[in-house]
Amino acid sequence: MGLINEIKNYSDKKNLSADKRSALDNFLENGFPTIKDEEWRYTSLKKTISGKYSINAVGRDVTKKEVEKHSLGLKHKIILVDGFLISKPEIKNISISAYSEFISNTNEALEKLNYSLAKNGYTISVHANTTIEEPIEILFFNTVENNFIQYRNIITVGDNSQVKFIEKIQNIDCDNVFVNSFTHINCESNSKLEFNKIQNNTPNSSLIDTVDVFQKKDSVSNINTLIFGGKFIRNNLNFEQNGTNAESNMNGISVLNKNQLADNHTFVDHKSPNCRSNEMYKGVYLEKSKGVFNGKIMVREDSQKIDAFQSNNTLLLSEDATINSKPQLEIYADDVKCSHGCTIGQLDKEALFYMRSRGIGKEEAQAILTYAFASEAINNITINKVAMLAKKLLINKLDVDLDHNI
Amino acid sequence: MLKIKNLKAGVEENQILKGLNLTVKAGEIHAIMGPNGSGKSTLSAVIAGNENYEVEEGSIEFEDEDLLDLSPEERAHKGVFLSFQYPVEIPGISVSNFIKTSINERRKALGIEKLSTPDLLKLMREKMELLSIKKGYLSRNMNEGFSGGEKKRNEIFQMAMLSPKLSILDETDSGLDIDALRIVANGVNKLKSKDNATIIITHYQRLLDYITPDYVHVLYNGRIIKSGSKELAHELESKGYDWITKEADKEWA
Repeated sequence: MGLINEIKNYSDKKNLSADKRSALDNFLENGFPTIKDEEWRYTSLKKTISGKYSINAVGRDVTKKEVEKHSLGLKHKIILVDGFLISKPEIKNISISAYSEFISNTNEALEKLNYSLAKNGYTISVHANTTIEEPIEILFFNTVENNFIQYRNIITVGDNSQVKFIEKIQNIDCDNVFVNSFTHINCESNSKLEFNKIQNNTPNSSLIDTVDVFQKKDSVSNINTLIFGGKFIRNNLNFEQNGTNAESNMNGISVLNKNQLADNHTFVDHKSPNCRSNEMYKGVYLEKSKGVFNGKIMVREDSQKIDAFQSNNTLLLSEDATINSKPQLEIYADDVKCSHGCTIGQLDKEALFYMRSRGIGKEEAQAILTYAFASEAINNITINKVAMLAKKLLINKLDVDLDHNI
Repeated sequence: MLKIKNLKAGVEENQILKGLNLTVKAGEIHAIMGPNGSGKSTLSAVIAGNENYEVEEGSIEFEDEDLLDLSPEERAHKGVFLSFQYPVEIPGISVSNFIKTSINERRKALGIEKLSTPDLLKLMREKMELLSIKKGYLSRNMNEGFSGGEKKRNEIFQMAMLSPKLSILDETDSGLDIDALRIVANGVNKLKSKDNATIIITHYQRLLDYITPDYVHVLYNGRIIKSGSKELAHELESKGYDWITKEADKEWA
C-alpha cells in the first residue's frame, strides 16, 4: 500500500535504462526517508506518502485564461502542463526546450527517484555574453488529482550572462498533487542569476524541491524562496562554489498557517577561496504550522578568505506553532569570516502598545509588525512584480485590511 | 473631561501610584512636575492603557466614561493621546503610512469614512508646516534612525494629525535642543482650543517657559502633594523639590 507500491508497479511496466533501474532499485531498497534519518528528523513524509497516487499521469490542457490568472503577467512565459513543455518564448540567445536526460551524483533518495522516473521538465541555456533584461516566468500547471509527478530541469547561464527567473507551481482543478522537482543550475564564469521560487500552491499539495547550483569564478547567484501555500514543502537548496570570487545569496520567507509544514534545508559548499555567501531566512508561523530550517555552511581546507553570513529569524504567533532551526557550520580553513544568527520570538510588546495607543487595533498592529518583520527579506527581491506579489500574499495570509503599498 | 480618583497602580507587587487625584477640564493645560521616580510616567502609562501596569484601586473617568475598561486603541479612538517619552522604532512602515493607518483605524471605530489620500496629504502638509518638518521625512521608516529631537517632533506631528481631546506629553522636552523645544511648544500652543486639554509631564520648568499651564501639580511618591498656578513652577525651578517633599515625608511618617 501507499506510494512506494505504486512506484514499484509503475516501474515494473517501464523499460528503464540500466542506470535508472539501478537508481530506482537503490531507492526502493531504502524507501522514502523517515524521521530516523538526521536530515529528515523534523519533517515527516509519512502522511504524504501514505495516500493513493497515480505516477506521472497526464490530464487536460490549460486555457489561456487560466494561465493569465496565475501568471505574474510578465512578457516571457515558459508553460508546462503536467510536466510537459507546451509553450515557450522566443528570446534571442536563449535556447529553451523540453526535458533532456542528465545524470546527477547524489545519495539523496528523492533525487534518485527523480532521476529514475522523470520524463519531463525544461532545459534552458543562456548563451555567453547575453543579458536578458525581462525576467522569465516559468509556470508549472498540474491538472491531475492524486498524482505524483517528477520535474527534472536544467539551466545553464553562460559566461558573462545575466538572467532572472520566476518559477511557480500551480494546481488547477486538483489539490492533492505531490511534486518531486529537481533543478540543476550551472552558473558559468562572471554570470549573474536571480531565481525566484513562488510556492503558493493549493492547500493539500506537497512539494519536494531540490535545486543544485554549481558556480564558477566571479558568478553571482541569488535564489529567493517565497513560501505561502501548500501543505507540505521541503526545499533542498545546495550551492557548490567551484571558482574564486563566487557569491551565493539566499532569501527565504515562509508565512504559514493551519497545519502547513515548510522545511528549508540549505547547503553552501565553499570549495574555492575568496568567495561569499549570504543567507537570510524569515519565517512567520501561525496556528498549528511548523517550520524547519537547516543551514549548512562548509568551508573547505584551502578555501581561505571566505565571507559567509547566515540568519534565520522566526516569529511564532501562536502557542501551537513550532520551529526547529539548526545552523551547521563546518569550517576547515583558518582565514574566514563566518557568522550565523538565529532568533525565535514574539512581537515586541512595547511596539504593540505604541501602535495601539495611536488607535491601531491589536490585530492590525500585530499584522503591521509582522509585515515589517518579513519585508526585510522581500526588499532583497529585485523584480518589482515578485516583491508586490509577496507583499500581497503576506497581507492576505495575515488576514488584515492593509494597504500593501506600504 | 478627565477625573482621576484615588488611583493606586503599579507594576507587579510594586505600588507606584498611591492614591492620586486629578481633575482636568476642557480648555485647560496642566503641568505635572516632580522628582525622578515619583510616578509621572506610570501615570501617563496607566491613562493610555499600558497593560504592564496594574490598577489596584481607584478610577479614571474620561468624559464621564470609565476609561479603565477600555483597550489602549479604544482610548485612542475616544481622543486620548500619549506622546511617548521614548517613542518606539518600527522598521518597515513609513511615517505617512503609519499615520494614515492610525487615522483611518480611528475613523473606522467612530463609523466615519476613511480619509481620502488627497485630504490626508493636505492635512499632512498643513501640520508639517506648523512643526517645520521637511517632506522627505514622511517616507522614512517610523522613528527608525531618528534623533531624539526628531522622535519627539514626530510625536507632536502625530498629535496634530489625530487632534485628540486629551494629550499627555510625557517628558516631551527631554532630548530637545532650544530650537526644537520652541517649535514643539509652538505646535502645542497652536493646537490648543477650548475643547481639548493637555497634561504636560516634565521634570524641568524649561518647556513651561513656552507653554503656559493653568495649573501646576507636584507629584511625589505616587501622590499629588501640591497644586498651584504657573508660579509654582518658577518656585520649584529656583528652590528645587526638597522644601515640599520634606514636608510630605514628615506628614506620612
